[in-house]
Amino acid sequence: MKNILIRLFYKFLVRPWLTFIIGVNFNNQEIFENLNQYIIVANHNSHFDMVSILAALPGIKLKTTKAVAASDYFGKSDWVVKAMHLFLNSILISRDRNENEPSAIDILDVHLKHGNSLVMFPEGSRGKPGLITNFKKGIAILLKNNPNIPFIPVYLDGFGRVLPKDSKVILPLVCKVRFGKPVFINSDDTNVILSEVKAAIFDLQNNDERDRNKFDF
Amino acid sequence: MSLLILNIPSEIVNVLVLIFAVLIICSIVFRLIYSKKKNDFWKEIIIRTNSWWKIAAGIAILVTAPALVGTLLIAYVSFVALREMFSISHFRNEDRVALFVGYFAVPIQYYLAYNNYYEAFLYFIPLVMFIAIPVVLVFNGKTEKIGRSMSIIPSLIMLTVYMLSHLVLLFHIETANFNAGAGGLILFLIVLIAFNDVFQFTWGKLLGKHKILPRVSPNKTWEGFIGGIFTTAIFAVANRFLTPLAAEQAFIVGLVIGITGFLGDALISAIKRDLKLKDTDDLIPGHGGVMDRLDSIILITPIYYHLLKFLIR
Repeated sequence: MKNILIRLFYKFLVRPWLTFIIGVNFNNQEIFENLNQYIIVANHNSHFDMVSILAALPGIKLKTTKAVAASDYFGKSDWVVKAMHLFLNSILISRDRNENEPSAIDILDVHLKHGNSLVMFPEGSRGKPGLITNFKKGIAILLKNNPNIPFIPVYLDGFGRVLPKDSKVILPLVCKVRFGKPVFINSDDTNVILSEVKAAIFDLQNNDERDRNKFDF
Repeated sequence: MSLLILNIPSEIVNVLVLIFAVLIICSIVFRLIYSKKKNDFWKEIIIRTNSWWKIAAGIAILVTAPALVGTLLIAYVSFVALREMFSISHFRNEDRVALFVGYFAVPIQYYLAYNNYYEAFLYFIPLVMFIAIPVVLVFNGKTEKIGRSMSIIPSLIMLTVYMLSHLVLLFHIETANFNAGAGGLILFLIVLIAFNDVFQFTWGKLLGKHKILPRVSPNKTWEGFIGGIFTTAIFAVANRFLTPLAAEQAFIVGLVIGITGFLGDALISAIKRDLKLKDTDDLIPGHGGVMDRLDSIILITPIYYHLLKFLIR
């Protein structure tokens, strides 16, 4: 029941709002056909990023696709955690290593073993619009541990202008969720995997004549 | 029968039937050619035609639906055009609040237009928005390049909202002495604008030698321009059954539509060239953005409205 409601919520509220008011375009969604499990990897500029990626997914994937978020940022208040579990299907992980808890990698690994898919922002936090900062290594370790699961590179174009890090104003501006083709990893070296992931996202960034992330002229 | 119940004037029905007939024929012919040739050119043409279907459907709704529906439709197109221009123009991070305020011009302006608050309609954007936006920018504090933002933001609102909102005023024009009504006036304008583009393009291809604006749009020639506007004027005379205009009045309106259509096209071309973009966006498959389609219509709408008001008195 909850799942149907969430699907309807995304289909009839979130998605129309994103496309008709904010100006989000989704493209290349057909890559999700015949794909059961994946890790979506995207650049991160805005709180809008996660909800836009989830809205782009085919409704049936919403149940198994989990948003990975930082517990030290989002875990501060109880109702935020509850809302994130309800609407984003989120997994909260700690960005700082804590000896007493299982590591973030282990938590995510378990989720992958259960057949779930993940959405991750390997930059770790929202960077400046248009700039892709260094990727954290966790994504490479996850892909190395699960060679049967492909990663899907996503370039989020323009979201840093719609709602940047230091702003509370949501500004409707044309932006794009650009999906790349799923890629299977066949390397054991995390550095190689990491650069492969990064290259895939840079590729998507460069194959459009315009980059909507830039604001200052 | 149903058309009688919906109370749609027969003139409008005839034109719409003609438009959709042309679209059906084009769709079939293009698909037949594509099935033989299978190249990218014809694929692109088919994508373009599919988008024309959607545009034609929008126009059909606009000219047949009640004024409220038409207003909402134009208001939304206006909003999308404004969003598109805001998205491609260069701004500073500090301009975000002013841009946000700028979007409120759309509902307010169309509210004024729908209720025919004519004076407020006339001064709201040129006066209120041209004061409000710079003030918001000033309170934001950063002065570096503020003059640029102060001028671009209200001008874009003027271009996409103020100009287009005059279409809604057409719903309030006195339509007692002719049959087609406000829908006819809007349809007349849209059909002429669309064909003006075609005529100018065709004359340019046939005879074009002397470039008119070599640095802005190199494809435009004097031959295309002059041939285009006079063909449009003659076409306007032929289509005047949609309006209360006499033949010579329709000829003048046609000329004005041809000239301003050309100028609007050139204006948007210049902006795109400055921003080094081919299209304003890729929202409409095969056509580019909304502004790429609206380019020739934006300048004409206020002039068309005032010209009509002057001529129909």
